[in-house]
Amino acid sequence: MVVLAALLALTAAPGVTAQEQPAGKLNFTVGIINDVDSLNPFIGILAETYEVWALMYDYLVGYSQKDFSPVPGLAESWEVSDDELTWTYKIRQGVKWSDGQPLTAKDAAYTFNRIMKGTFEQTNYGNYVSNIRTVEAPDDATLVMTTKEPSPTMLRLAVPILPEHVWKDIDEKEVSTFDNEKNAVGSGPFVLAERSTGQFVRLTANKEYWDGAPKIDEVVYRVFNNADAQLQALKKGEIDFADGLDPAPFNSLKDTEGITAVAGDYSGFDELAFNTGAALDSGEPIGDGHPALKDKRVRQAIAHAIDKQALVDRVLGGYGTPAAGVIPALYQNLTFQPADGEAYNFDLAEANRLLDEAGYKDSDGDKVREMPDGGRPLRFRLFARQESNTSQQSVQFMQGWLRDIGIATEVKVLEENRLTEIIGQGEFDMFEWGWVVEPDPDYQLSTFTCGSRSYKSGGDVLANLSDSFYCNPEYDKLYEQQKVTIDPAKRAEIVKQMQRMLYVDAPYVVTFYYDELQAYRSDRFAGFSAQPDPGGVVLFQYGTYSYRNIATPQATAAAGDEGGGVPLVPIAVGVAVVGAAGVLLALRRRSTQDERE
Amino acid sequence: MAATSTRTFRPSAGQRRLGAKLIGAVLSLAFVLVFNFFLFRVLPGDPAKNLTRNRLVPAEQVEVLRESFGLGRPLHEQFATYVKDTLSGDLGISYKFRRPVSEVIAERIWPTVLLLGLSTLLSTAIGLWIGIRGAWRRNSVFDRVSLGASLALYAMPEFWLGIMLLIAFGVGVGSFPGLFPTGGLSSPDTELASLAGVADVARHLFLPCLTLTLAYIAEYALVMRSSLLDELGEDYLTTARAKGLRDALVLRRHAVPNALLPTTTLIFLNLGFVVSGAITIETVFSWPGLGLLSYEALRTPDYPLLQGVFLLFSAAVIIANLLADLLYAYLDPRVRTG
Repeated sequence: MVVLAALLALTAAPGVTAQEQPAGKLNFTVGIINDVDSLNPFIGILAETYEVWALMYDYLVGYSQKDFSPVPGLAESWEVSDDELTWTYKIRQGVKWSDGQPLTAKDAAYTFNRIMKGTFEQTNYGNYVSNIRTVEAPDDATLVMTTKEPSPTMLRLAVPILPEHVWKDIDEKEVSTFDNEKNAVGSGPFVLAERSTGQFVRLTANKEYWDGAPKIDEVVYRVFNNADAQLQALKKGEIDFADGLDPAPFNSLKDTEGITAVAGDYSGFDELAFNTGAALDSGEPIGDGHPALKDKRVRQAIAHAIDKQALVDRVLGGYGTPAAGVIPALYQNLTFQPADGEAYNFDLAEANRLLDEAGYKDSDGDKVREMPDGGRPLRFRLFARQESNTSQQSVQFMQGWLRDIGIATEVKVLEENRLTEIIGQGEFDMFEWGWVVEPDPDYQLSTFTCGSRSYKSGGDVLANLSDSFYCNPEYDKLYEQQKVTIDPAKRAEIVKQMQRMLYVDAPYVVTFYYDELQAYRSDRFAGFSAQPDPGGVVLFQYGTYSYRNIATPQATAAAGDEGGGVPLVPIAVGVAVVGAAGVLLALRRRSTQDERE
Repeated sequence: MAATSTRTFRPSAGQRRLGAKLIGAVLSLAFVLVFNFFLFRVLPGDPAKNLTRNRLVPAEQVEVLRESFGLGRPLHEQFATYVKDTLSGDLGISYKFRRPVSEVIAERIWPTVLLLGLSTLLSTAIGLWIGIRGAWRRNSVFDRVSLGASLALYAMPEFWLGIMLLIAFGVGVGSFPGLFPTGGLSSPDTELASLAGVADVARHLFLPCLTLTLAYIAEYALVMRSSLLDELGEDYLTTARAKGLRDALVLRRHAVPNALLPTTTLIFLNLGFVVSGAITIETVFSWPGLGLLSYEALRTPDYPLLQGVFLLFSAAVIIANLLADLLYAYLDPRVRTG
């Protein structure tokens, strides 16, 4: 059937699509729901925006398509000194900026120094440079950075390298309002051509790109303000790619001729979070969290009462996997799986037993347990997010299971903005939310450190990253340790140990890793590259693999032909891989929230 | 007599009325100016925090951002700066887009005015015509069909009607091809200031404009029809007929001008909203207008942008009301003297 689809794709392109296509140019049009906010790499914040920068600029080190491990980018190779404090990057020679000027190590040094010396420039990249002491370019091919402490993130510096000859004229004041829309100079595989606010961003291929010229001529991001219209545009062929689909439309696309639907492994998880005892970073208690949730045994009992598989099946429509650790399963080297004995299996009887044992008994016969002293009942506020159906459905299920173990919940649905405030003040008991985790685990792990709890600024309590107020000196010690461990295997051990600690102490019950649902016109384009390979998403990745590989199905087939292969086999295999991923992973789905922001 | 020698300026009733209206309008605007500032600060969410949520931004950096927005200062100082800047025509810098608010608004205002202006014009013209014809030939086939259709369109949610039209004419049904784009204002790679560019915008404009026109026709038709029906029973029409005027003239010269009053109010009320746009239709057709912009601004919340946009919206409504008042005086002599 897959081969048949590939054949159809080769022979029949719908008439409408053909008309839309200007003669001789191969445009790849991607539908996006949020408009790109700013093309200035110091300003923009949305996932869509980062995707455009990745096309416009290069980075020192990239992420491999297979498993996100560091791969050469502008830096061809690198080495670290014996004391692990000095990094020397060999910068690729012969790379040119889109205005023809040569790109050298001096541009890279300029970019990093600008961020380190700047104020506004730190907003987007401050975290990457906080550990860097000096950045120098002794010659055009060498970049030397010294760090305060050894740091594995020196191979994860997601900072677009900017041309010094352009940006030196934009001073600190101007940079905060500079739009970077006219004649933007970059070195990436595509060059910004045109931007119309609220409508589209158009980029043209850089046929001189050092890592191979893209086979398509243009990438256009077209803004849709609603998912229905975006879906219709994909069906009609006005756009070639859509992501962030809901399960129902995704399922309907699976049977649509000329379209391939991909449920890709994704880096996001959802969780049920607890107020483990809200306090400021100084330790001063805040908020009004329920005292029972400060007791780890209550949280563990609740962990036994959450049927993760049921959530995946019934809330995600099967497009996801039950989760344990806070580093998603697609980061194979870092993710955590509990051993058989330590896992919280779904078991209401066990949950009840644990609560009884801990002294939380229902003494007045109202089916709600009370604190061990017989006082306050276990009646919790449980928040869900207005913006996410997944969140609202999940808490409905959770409410039912908790009722079965003698815990009453009062469900409230709030806007994310409002909920962020409430969490920051510690005025909650439980909530449902999620995170998207980047390939380096540092940031995600930092959200559970004591120092990430809320803080005081001028009399106001302000939220920081921590939303469970978890604080464990043991954990913090391990956090500091992984931060300075360069050896990937050793670091992975620590990272897993930290996740085990979180699993046991249960500030979160991590419920599932969801899939990202994507679809594209396979009658027009073939050659998409999944990341991770196999099973991952085919666009909105860490890198520009698909953009540089895709071509018309005919071209892809012909290329295989020249290589001596049997006609149609390469594309059939290509489609089969993606199609198989779609079928195999037909157990998954992703939620619709905009956590990626 | 004596009166001829010393003549001081005494405003007529009409001028006094005009003066009072103008002062009222200016006061309303001033109120909106003040009110906006406090209104948006009640919104949940800290802009600096929301702009940095889920990203690698250390707490110190969020503080820097908050400072750069001027949010660290006492509220009364922020308010003083806001009033001073706004009065001198400076609407500030948008938090989200990091560009001057006036520039961001200027980019989005013309698509909205184009779409809403054109559809208001069309729906008014068509709606009034249907209303007049329906009332004049009450219970005729035309009346019954148009009344039924109007009521049906009136009852339809705008976004639903929009999606249906989008599927029918944007995507196509069966072998019937989709003739119009599914959204946006123009295609990439077209020069707007050329003939092809104008045609391209027209193609994009068609569906959203059709949706809005259909949605509003009913309102005008129904109001016009019922107010004309009210007039038809009046004695002065019998008199006019008795004078021997032809039916068409009785309608045009006597009945319609009197029946037009409630409709005028409606038209001007709606005109006030031409600027603020129809957010549902802008959403369905991905139309890059002001309605959507204000929605985006609310999510941050982007105070300067919200203040700018709402000031503009309020000004539009206030001016439209002022115009309606003035036009009323012209249309209805009773208002002038009363």
